[in-house]
Amino acid sequence: MSASESSNAMTASPRTPLVEMRNIRVSFGGVHAVDGVSVDLYPGEVVGLVGGNGAGKSTLIRALSGAHQANEGEIYINGQKATITNPRDAKTYGIETIYQTLALADNVDAAANMFLGREITTRLGSLNDAAMESAAREVMRRLNPNFKNFKVPVKSLSGGQRQSVAIARAVHFNARIIIMDEPTAALGPAETAQVRDLVMQLKSEGIGIFLISHDIHDVFDLADRISVMLQGKLVGTVEKTKVTKDEVLAMSIIGKLPQEVSETEMASLVN
Amino acid sequence: MSIRKVAAILTIAALTFGACSSSATSAPGGASGGCKVGVAWATFQEERYGLRDEPAIRAALAAGGATYIGNSALNKADIQTANVESLIAAGIKVLVLNSTDPKAMLPSVKKAVDAGIAVIAYDRELESAKALFMTHDNVEVGRMIAEAVTKAQPTGNYAIILGDKTQTNPVFLRTGMAKVLDPLIASGAIKIVGEQNTPNWAADAAQTEMEQMLTAANNDIQAVLSENDNMATGAVAALKAQGLELKVKIGAQDGDKAALNRVALGTQVVSVWKNSADLGTAAGKAALELCKNPDISKVTGAKAVKTSGGLDGYGVNLNPVPITQDNLQVVLDAKWITVAELCKDVKPASVKGCP
Amino acid sequence: MTEAKPLQANVTGGPTKRSARSVFAGLEIDGRLFGMIAALAILWVAFNFLSDGLFLSPRNLWNLSVQSAAVAIMTCGMVLIIVSRNIDLSIGSILVFVALIMGLMQTEWIPNTLGLGLNQPYTWIVVVVVGIAVGALIGALHGFLIAYIGIPSFIVTLGGLLIWRGAAFLLARGRTIAPLDTTFQLLGGGPSGSLGETLSWLIAGLAIVGLIYSLLASRRRRRRYGFPLRAVWADVALGTIGSVAVAGAVWVANSYPWPPALAAAYALEHNIPVPPGGLQIPTGIAIPVLIAIGIALGMTFLANRRRFGRYVYSIGGNPDAAELAGINTRWTIMKTFIAMGVLAAVAAAVTAARLNAATNGLGSGVELQVIAAAVIGGTSFSGGIGTIAGGVLGAVVMQSLSSGMVLIGVDTALQDIVLGLVLVAAVGLDTVLRRRRA
Repeated sequence: MSASESSNAMTASPRTPLVEMRNIRVSFGGVHAVDGVSVDLYPGEVVGLVGGNGAGKSTLIRALSGAHQANEGEIYINGQKATITNPRDAKTYGIETIYQTLALADNVDAAANMFLGREITTRLGSLNDAAMESAAREVMRRLNPNFKNFKVPVKSLSGGQRQSVAIARAVHFNARIIIMDEPTAALGPAETAQVRDLVMQLKSEGIGIFLISHDIHDVFDLADRISVMLQGKLVGTVEKTKVTKDEVLAMSIIGKLPQEVSETEMASLVN
Repeated sequence: MSIRKVAAILTIAALTFGACSSSATSAPGGASGGCKVGVAWATFQEERYGLRDEPAIRAALAAGGATYIGNSALNKADIQTANVESLIAAGIKVLVLNSTDPKAMLPSVKKAVDAGIAVIAYDRELESAKALFMTHDNVEVGRMIAEAVTKAQPTGNYAIILGDKTQTNPVFLRTGMAKVLDPLIASGAIKIVGEQNTPNWAADAAQTEMEQMLTAANNDIQAVLSENDNMATGAVAALKAQGLELKVKIGAQDGDKAALNRVALGTQVVSVWKNSADLGTAAGKAALELCKNPDISKVTGAKAVKTSGGLDGYGVNLNPVPITQDNLQVVLDAKWITVAELCKDVKPASVKGCP
Repeated sequence: MTEAKPLQANVTGGPTKRSARSVFAGLEIDGRLFGMIAALAILWVAFNFLSDGLFLSPRNLWNLSVQSAAVAIMTCGMVLIIVSRNIDLSIGSILVFVALIMGLMQTEWIPNTLGLGLNQPYTWIVVVVVGIAVGALIGALHGFLIAYIGIPSFIVTLGGLLIWRGAAFLLARGRTIAPLDTTFQLLGGGPSGSLGETLSWLIAGLAIVGLIYSLLASRRRRRRYGFPLRAVWADVALGTIGSVAVAGAVWVANSYPWPPALAAAYALEHNIPVPPGGLQIPTGIAIPVLIAIGIALGMTFLANRRRFGRYVYSIGGNPDAAELAGINTRWTIMKTFIAMGVLAAVAAAVTAARLNAATNGLGSGVELQVIAAAVIGGTSFSGGIGTIAGGVLGAVVMQSLSSGMVLIGVDTALQDIVLGLVLVAAVGLDTVLRRRRA
């Protein structure tokens, strides 16, 4: 708790945070997967969420995307208290999520996936597939100009192309907040670079991004601040420019802020 | 999900049904000292079993102070096997088995006999000498259908609609028909142009069969023998679509109300009537006798009979009655059907028995 | 093409390049559907050969169309159920329950209980509306238990299979309800339940106009968004093939004259002089067939052009993704079962009307025929894959096999074996081809 307060102090920004999650607790059958965690996100900012397997970072973020409901705690969007009980609620707040599994319906095409749940319809309520395909082509021109297979089920696309579809879905609907859960896990180097460019572009457009990754290098490249979780609890949130990769690594393993870690602990970690 | 599990689920549901239609199950061991009689029905699909047979058995048992327990098996032998087990477990002294299959139910019969339970094979044969076979003489029923139809239509092309091929009744009925038909076929008077088994004795399937047989024969069919009235309903619908319902002579059996109405209307020559209520009453009385003495050969009216497989057993045969336009009064007198039901749409004073 | 947006530049390939690859790609025809039509054609020709020309006679094809109608109607719903990774085993029991309600309503409840008499002009419509409502309610109940309570559809509908057949028995205590209302009977087809020559040609004309309009509309839409257009020859070919098929079907239906006995009775009744050789009245499309075609088109529209269909396919493809995309998956699943209940009720009306009776054994085992039709038509149990058109073709294949075998007098046991072999072979072939394509 003290950690998150100190991070707020460090940011020292007068602006209202885009997202503020306060004391979030998510339990599964008595186990606290997320235990009293508070994080926030400002416009045009990338906040990295790191931690080992089972640290609770995905669960925390699923409470924001509506995939799970938090048992306790509050979420504020633009300073207003928000109620998010399902993915539809999250989308109405401008929250878009790119899941690690990509969450695509394999048997329908790219445009159908992009607009899933938010289809463009004609005046009579029928699907306007041509309009959706047209919009999909336009978004793809920006994200991945090499993308050509608009008419085939996404099952037959490569990992990178599928990733493009998932990202296109998030950016097309004027999201203000984007959650990326391991966005580069399935990608080759060139495609990873593309995702980095995209993150920078979205950031410049004033969009706030939560970036979940177990790859500390990725996070250091892209994030402005880094929140570290361990065993369902928040270890702390630090500004990237004020810490080293080793210090963040130490936070995620030992569960202490850099200033609390003793030299011997640090040494044992480095070795 | 394994077949066994599905069967178990079906069994539970079938038992629940049995319970629904037979309130006696709700009070096991209720009738103090009374004999408990279990009836394992094969199905309630046909009109007769629920409407005639079951109430008659119940009434006969109630009159003798015995308790009725029943269940139904959706025509499936595996379900009926479990049903019989549950009846045995309920402590019955007599098992009335309306069998789904003459051989598949033999282990169940043995289980019952081993437990000292007397077994009545009700209306459907069991390939066992241990069970008292109570039935209307089905060979005789088949003979009567053929006799009435050949009397009305002594020459020409015949089509035969047989029942479900997994049971023995279609064979009995067909054997009886052959007694009349074979000499006529030999003399060249009639010719069989089509013969089809009907899954589940279903009317809609029989309708399609009839349509195809008519197409194959280019409507050159003069008579139809159907092994029951339900299938005749389908066959008559197919004939009607060709405008032939009054020209083609059709005979069947069961005494279904709709079929008796067709007899009155002239769209069916004969419905051989087995008063199922009589069979039910006779079985109920036989069960009461077996409660006192489980020797099936001592039951009133029991005669030595041979099973289809050639075993020496005992049986009670009731005689069927062919109902034609000449003797409609018989079913009215038995209160089997009301005048309104029998004479629906019949031209006034055109038929004896209808006003 | 002139008003194409700059986007056009980024679109791969031009229309000419694409059509040059192969005729199929140019026509954009589903190869699987084409394969099924080819298989059906082979089957028909073989039966025709074995039956000395009877199978492809107008009479038999007309019979076949009516015999397939009820199963085809229900297959339209079953495809969507299976696509969304569910199953419905209860449709035969819903069918018999609704059929008995409709039968009792028109022969007893309306005439006797309400004292309104038999064969009223409005009876059939009241009966059908009530029947459909009952079917929808049963479907809604099943759908609710499956989607909101989370009981597997196999269990809920297995329960339904037992419950509704039992309830049907209790309704009539096993009696056969017959004869039925004279107007209601028309729903089942038969010569008087058919459209006749003029109306049938009118329907054919409308269908051809609709086909050409939809081809043109699709061209216009593609052009508006600057997408590559289908080659003109391909559109012309599709329009021609479609129109010829429609006209051919109606021609066959009109080539089947009323049976002589009925035509003679009609002539007598209307004082028409009978020409030598008997009066020839073309039968035309049977009403149940028209109902089945209408339902197939309507369900195809729902499946392909409405959100509901898109959601059903997405749920079948990836239920989690559909949920995360914000789709109300539960309500969507419930709606598929409501649709199934409605279609089972329509099939009940057609079956009972055709039989001119509501009996206790109606629809027994029909669930397996319908599931087999859907599967032969390419619907996959792993979800997400299947088309209404394929399912309807599957129903026609099944019915062609069974009525063709009766026509040539195949032994009943052998018929079952053939049907079973075809089912397994069709799905096996499909699985192998699909794996090769993937």
